[in-house]
Amino acid sequence: MSLQAAEHPMPGLWPVVWKLLRLRWLITYNGFRRASLRRKIGMLFLVVLILAFLGFVFFISWFLLGFLRSPRLAEVAGNVKPLLDSVPVLAVSAAFLGILITSFGVLLQALYLSGDMDFLLSAPVPIRAVFITKLLQAVLPNFGLICLFVLPLLFGLGAAGGYNFLYYPLVLIVLAAMALAAAGLSSLMVMFVVRVFPARRVAEVLGFAGAIISFACSQSGQLFRFGQFSQGQADQAIQMATRFNAPWSPLSWAGRGLVALGERQWLPAGGFLIISVGLAVLIFGIALTTAERLYYTGWASIQNNRRRKKAPKVARLAVERPTGKLARRFIPPAVRAIAVKDYYVLRRDLRNMSQLVTPLIFGIIYAVVFLRGGGQPSLGRGEAPALFNEIMKNLFVYINVGISLFVGWMLLSRLGGMGFSQEGKNYWMLKAAPVSVAQLVMAKFLVAYLPALILGWAFLLVISLVQRSGFSLLLFTLPVVALCIAGNAGLNLSFGILGANMNWEDPRQMQRGAIGCLGALFSVIYMGVSLALFFIPTVILALFKLPVPVGQLSGLLVGGTFSLACAALPLWLVRKRVPLLGESS
Amino acid sequence: MTTSNPLIETRALVKRYGDKTVVDQVSFEVYGGEIFGFLGPNGAGKTTTIKMIAGLLQPTSGSVKVGGYDVQKQPILAKAASGYVPDEPNLYPKLTARELLRFVGDLYGLDRTQVERRIPELLRLFDLEQAGDDTIDTYSHGMQQKTALAAALVHDPKVLVLDEPTVGLDPKSARLIKDILRQMAERGAALFLSTHILEIAERMCDRIGIINQGRLIAVGSMDELRALGKGSGEQGQVVGSLEDIFLGLTGGAEYAEIAEVLR
Repeated sequence: MSLQAAEHPMPGLWPVVWKLLRLRWLITYNGFRRASLRRKIGMLFLVVLILAFLGFVFFISWFLLGFLRSPRLAEVAGNVKPLLDSVPVLAVSAAFLGILITSFGVLLQALYLSGDMDFLLSAPVPIRAVFITKLLQAVLPNFGLICLFVLPLLFGLGAAGGYNFLYYPLVLIVLAAMALAAAGLSSLMVMFVVRVFPARRVAEVLGFAGAIISFACSQSGQLFRFGQFSQGQADQAIQMATRFNAPWSPLSWAGRGLVALGERQWLPAGGFLIISVGLAVLIFGIALTTAERLYYTGWASIQNNRRRKKAPKVARLAVERPTGKLARRFIPPAVRAIAVKDYYVLRRDLRNMSQLVTPLIFGIIYAVVFLRGGGQPSLGRGEAPALFNEIMKNLFVYINVGISLFVGWMLLSRLGGMGFSQEGKNYWMLKAAPVSVAQLVMAKFLVAYLPALILGWAFLLVISLVQRSGFSLLLFTLPVVALCIAGNAGLNLSFGILGANMNWEDPRQMQRGAIGCLGALFSVIYMGVSLALFFIPTVILALFKLPVPVGQLSGLLVGGTFSLACAALPLWLVRKRVPLLGESS
Repeated sequence: MTTSNPLIETRALVKRYGDKTVVDQVSFEVYGGEIFGFLGPNGAGKTTTIKMIAGLLQPTSGSVKVGGYDVQKQPILAKAASGYVPDEPNLYPKLTARELLRFVGDLYGLDRTQVERRIPELLRLFDLEQAGDDTIDTYSHGMQQKTALAAALVHDPKVLVLDEPTVGLDPKSARLIKDILRQMAERGAALFLSTHILEIAERMCDRIGIINQGRLIAVGSMDELRALGKGSGEQGQVVGSLEDIFLGLTGGAEYAEIAEVLR
């Protein structure tokens, strides 16, 4: 055997890299080949959509940048050339920073969490080949994504400016070099961070931060007043963009080189491009060899956090708060235990937290938008019938209920819809325990209902305080929110039971698509119907100048009955499904 | 110290997935004070049987009684009497061991002061005292396995069902678990465990059941199995160890010949 090993030729670096990349491609291809027909069609549709998007961005950039270059615009808006020249600088810098940030997560997964590193490093292949493959694996998808936005823009700029033909291939080469340098730096960052924090925890924090930031950014546009965008603000934005084009910034060199090349200024083009591409390749090379050495010596695998060993906790004294006693009297111990356990699990797992914080962001943004509008309906051009305006005015009194319910609804779709699914592979603990179906459902109902109620009420109170609405209105709206959320919790939980999926690794796979969508649809319909039942009697009585409290009481009676029925009936219908959850078929 | 009434009793237990019969007419009893080993090749139906005993899977037909209670008809009482340790210790990763044990104590309706007294005992017993306040996702596989066992013992069950309890454990922990199981049996509990380690089954179990392709093909003490194995062994072959009996009964003896050729 040892003789055979001695005769085994040392494989070359690039053939091995090619082999490993082919393996990646094979895994991806197999994923596509074995996918369901629906998924395949979806993927192909996505490819077509991406190509269409590419073309769209290219033509938009071409026309827009061409328009910016027109002499007639220059007469009105002044010299826009500095702005145009800074477009490649901005695009290349954004690509570099984008890949630096996005490949951090991918490399963390590829180097520490994918579990194939030991397998690959134990194979008779150069270690460098493994690292190059891992870096390429991290870079390629992000590079593709960045190119999707940056390439059409830069090509559009070239087309609009009548740039030299060498500009186009050089754009690709520069972007590729930047991507490699960014991925190299990212791999070192990953290793330094994992030295201090556990890789899995870093991945969780990264996912949480990414989800929250992207969600907050996507929604923050709601707060922007486009109608009040002034010339001064536009000038400031242009100045900020041109400030990136500073000659001392290495990130600007590549962009400046591309502009110079396009404009046939060969000397500065050659200088800037050779320096920037050379620097990028050098960074990649140093990062690659350093990362490889740090990993192989074991430095990158050993955590450096000398955590203080916690002293074992002594048993807690049996001092109880009155609320605790009350809860103990009315809520069975098993129900309390499950609720407390869910509270710990939801709070500590950041993957859950990102899903729970989303409704808060949504709620805050829409509450601000609503309050900024003065809490009054827009009359438009004033052509609507007076009766309609009157109804709208009466209904708008309760818009705070709508916002509170919207926030509560979003929270419920996570807490209720995935209440059972979130147990995942740990469900055996509940199933093997002496807990009845009723207790289990009650616990999950409380876990979904109470936070949604607290959040809904908090929003309602804050909006009512800001609007200075009357106490009598609050007395009516508080139970409306409580009852509405109860019905919604029952509905969401029922659909959650029907579509429960315990076999997941990633929380996004918790609920099966069709049932989840159906649940969301039903809960939206329910919200509309229940709000109508709560408010229609009040609005009708207000229209006829009759006492509003009578209408509110009638609304509470009718809407409350409907909400409570929706809270209990769907759960009763799916009760027999609960003991069968978690049984693989 | 075995009792006359069985604490685990299965009658013609069947589990089918579509056309495939995974467990086929399995019947046996396990008495108090007895350790019952459940052996079988991979995919023989061991884990499915265990899950039906623990109340995790609904049988297609047949019945299971645990502690005298029918798992289908009186699931709460049956589950309250038993503890279960799965082959894969899937525990809530974001709970600490202490919180998990407290949670299990509440699930089983134990008095809070009793639970608070029991937790440090169990943590000390399984050498988890120092890690007791760390979340479970920071534990090694062995520590998770020990936590799962500690969770199954919180309520001091009359019946303990264990699926591969020693997998992934170091020799010290494996020995500890064997000692605990023996002590529990001496106190009158019924223990049902599946294992691939025949040495453990041979040395620890009072009786052994062998399942193959969903059917229980042999049940008895080592002596009874030896007698049974003589009948099924090759002509003139000495059937002495549990390995010989197991391979003889489950048709794995031919692998020994292949191994001999490769040697």
